[in-house]
Amino acid sequence: MPHTIALAGNPNSGKTSIFNELTGSTQYVGNWPGVTVEKKEGYLKGDKRHVVVDLPGIYSLSPYTLEEVVTRDFLLDGKPDLIINVVDATNLERNLYLTTQLVETGIPVLIALNMMDILERNGDTIQVPLLSEALGCPIIETSAVSRAGLKDLVKTAVHMVDKAEGSGKVAKFSTPVEKALLQIEHLIDTLVPPDTLRWFTIKVFEHDERVMQRLNLSDQTAHQIATIIESVEKSMDDSAESLITNDRYEYLTGITAACHKKARKMGTLSTSDKIDRIVTNRWLALPIFFAVMWGVYFIAIQSVGDLFIGWIEWFFGDLIGANIALGLEAIGTSAWLVGLVVDGIIAGVGSVLTFVPQMMILFFFLALMEDCGYMARVAFIMDRIFRKFGLSGKSFIPMLIGTGCSVPAIMASRTIENQRDRRMTVMLTPFIPCGAKLPVFALLVGAFFPNSAWIASSMYLVGILAVIVSGIVLKKTKAFAGDPAPFVMELPSYHMPRMKGVVIHMWDRGKQFIKKAGTIIAVASAAIWILQSSSWSFQLVDTQDSILASIGRLIAPIFTPLGFGSWEVAVATITGLLAKETIVATFGIVLGLGNVAEGDPTLLASVGAFFNPISAYSFMIFTLFAAPCAAAIGATRREMQSAKWTWAAILFQTGVAYTAALVVYQVGMLLFGRGL
Amino acid sequence: MPLTFIKVGQSASIKAVLGKDETRKFLGSLGFTAGESVTVVSENGGNLILSIKDSRIALDRSMAQRIQV
Repeated sequence: MPHTIALAGNPNSGKTSIFNELTGSTQYVGNWPGVTVEKKEGYLKGDKRHVVVDLPGIYSLSPYTLEEVVTRDFLLDGKPDLIINVVDATNLERNLYLTTQLVETGIPVLIALNMMDILERNGDTIQVPLLSEALGCPIIETSAVSRAGLKDLVKTAVHMVDKAEGSGKVAKFSTPVEKALLQIEHLIDTLVPPDTLRWFTIKVFEHDERVMQRLNLSDQTAHQIATIIESVEKSMDDSAESLITNDRYEYLTGITAACHKKARKMGTLSTSDKIDRIVTNRWLALPIFFAVMWGVYFIAIQSVGDLFIGWIEWFFGDLIGANIALGLEAIGTSAWLVGLVVDGIIAGVGSVLTFVPQMMILFFFLALMEDCGYMARVAFIMDRIFRKFGLSGKSFIPMLIGTGCSVPAIMASRTIENQRDRRMTVMLTPFIPCGAKLPVFALLVGAFFPNSAWIASSMYLVGILAVIVSGIVLKKTKAFAGDPAPFVMELPSYHMPRMKGVVIHMWDRGKQFIKKAGTIIAVASAAIWILQSSSWSFQLVDTQDSILASIGRLIAPIFTPLGFGSWEVAVATITGLLAKETIVATFGIVLGLGNVAEGDPTLLASVGAFFNPISAYSFMIFTLFAAPCAAAIGATRREMQSAKWTWAAILFQTGVAYTAALVVYQVGMLLFGRGL
Repeated sequence: MPLTFIKVGQSASIKAVLGKDETRKFLGSLGFTAGESVTVVSENGGNLILSIKDSRIALDRSMAQRIQV
């Protein structure tokens, strides 16, 4: 059995960086609280006898967030042999608040005093031997960025695990509190292992519900404990938990006052604060944010991103597609197989990979914003606006990511503590036009509104509007009633982005999309091609008589009230469930044009036969809102952790899509229908 | 008085955090305890960015109103 070493620490203390260095893995490191939600494991580099577990970043062992519950359960039930407590030296007292609680669990604690380089640059000093003495824990100074101290950290950790050395010194509280703790200790000391007694005693004193349930005290003991607590609360005129919090901080102030010297006077502004004065300023915050986003989209979608699209289309169409077709024909492959491979799979996958550069550039900039610390400020700025619609500012970040791809966006909703807020964010994020919906819009705009720049942009506006209206409406239902959780969030210091981290993060999000192209889309493209070229008796036939056409004809009437009741469009709508970008590909395949881009003149002309401007807009609206692609539905299922909620989300989204498209078409025809 | 009365750039000493819920406990662990000094770094529509101990905490208006200084 390998020994277990747990990594614990505050959010943003550099825990994940240390984990990556210790285990040689490449987990993403963020300058955004809540990067690690699940615990991650890895062996020490080149040492299979020690497993390192990276726990979510937490501020205390009181279960306020999901992360805190995960960490606490692991420490109590996973019985790690050692805790490496990563402490941010630039925020010593707040970080040690957690340390004192970790020590109470009775597990040996080794402190990695991280970010020492930044502390020194600020001109501050910490007398490490003195601090180590006061806490009773060994301390190794580290810097995950320059890798200083990491070898020492591993050596000391392994040594401590082998020796099974004892734990640190526990915090001493004020006399009345200590007296009460002693009394409680006597009442529960038979119920818990001796080394965890101090921790349980304090938690009982704090009325921690989970702990009380776990101990399952007799009515008599529970009553005795209640009396003890009540008498202290009365004499001290404060609640038990706030007595503990205050005393704990007081104890720490005593320690840090002796060994921590600060160069900067209290109350003066740091550089980070000065930036915040401007960037989060009540007048400048929004203009700065919009300017930044405009710049990002200009580069990612329009200028640089657009350049790449042409190259990729050429690569898949002219180079790969054409040459494979020649190659297959040369070795005598039958025509239908060539069609399947070239017009089906390669065309389908290629049409998806076309957006990869745009998406990667977008994700690169979003990762950059996150890493330098600006993204956390965006949540703060947006909170003021989002709160009016019943959402918290933390819901804004997933929506921003959603302009690239809904899958990582839905995953980003994990940092929202409140379950109601989280569910609503997961449900509404797909309303934001993702990268894959853009070619569908481009196709229809090209065919019907060639001279109008605002029709495509209006999709963003409509999407945002739908989020707002849905937020207001859903808040009226029982499942979502109540104010959004209070916004309390630590803002990291601004720092220069680290390229390695930014690239890892960009890749982490972008790969979801590429994976989708390789799996779902390849299979779907092949399936559509087969369905559109064979009949129910599996004879090769014209598209008109194919399986696909008959399915399309069956469901087409559903879409007639929305203005697009032809079987071709119905089929495209269904394939859009697999992935939005296959809608364009489906039109191409169904119309017998093979792999065509959304701007292809023949495609534009052919598509024109199925729509008029109003039904085209109605179809765009339907595509915007309808149940997202298969990959996003999968992500929804993972984040909701409930089949019922996943179905609720799909039905809600599709319901909104149908209703909105119906209104657009019917009202549109009534107002402008005459001239068409 | 509530923390929302403090002007940007000024500091105050916390007297108490009102209310009795999970969020209050959470604020406690972030260092919002009686006697602690807090500086208002920035304000945006009532939402505040505060400097407390050595960190910056963003709070919405309703939470800020519960902090007495």
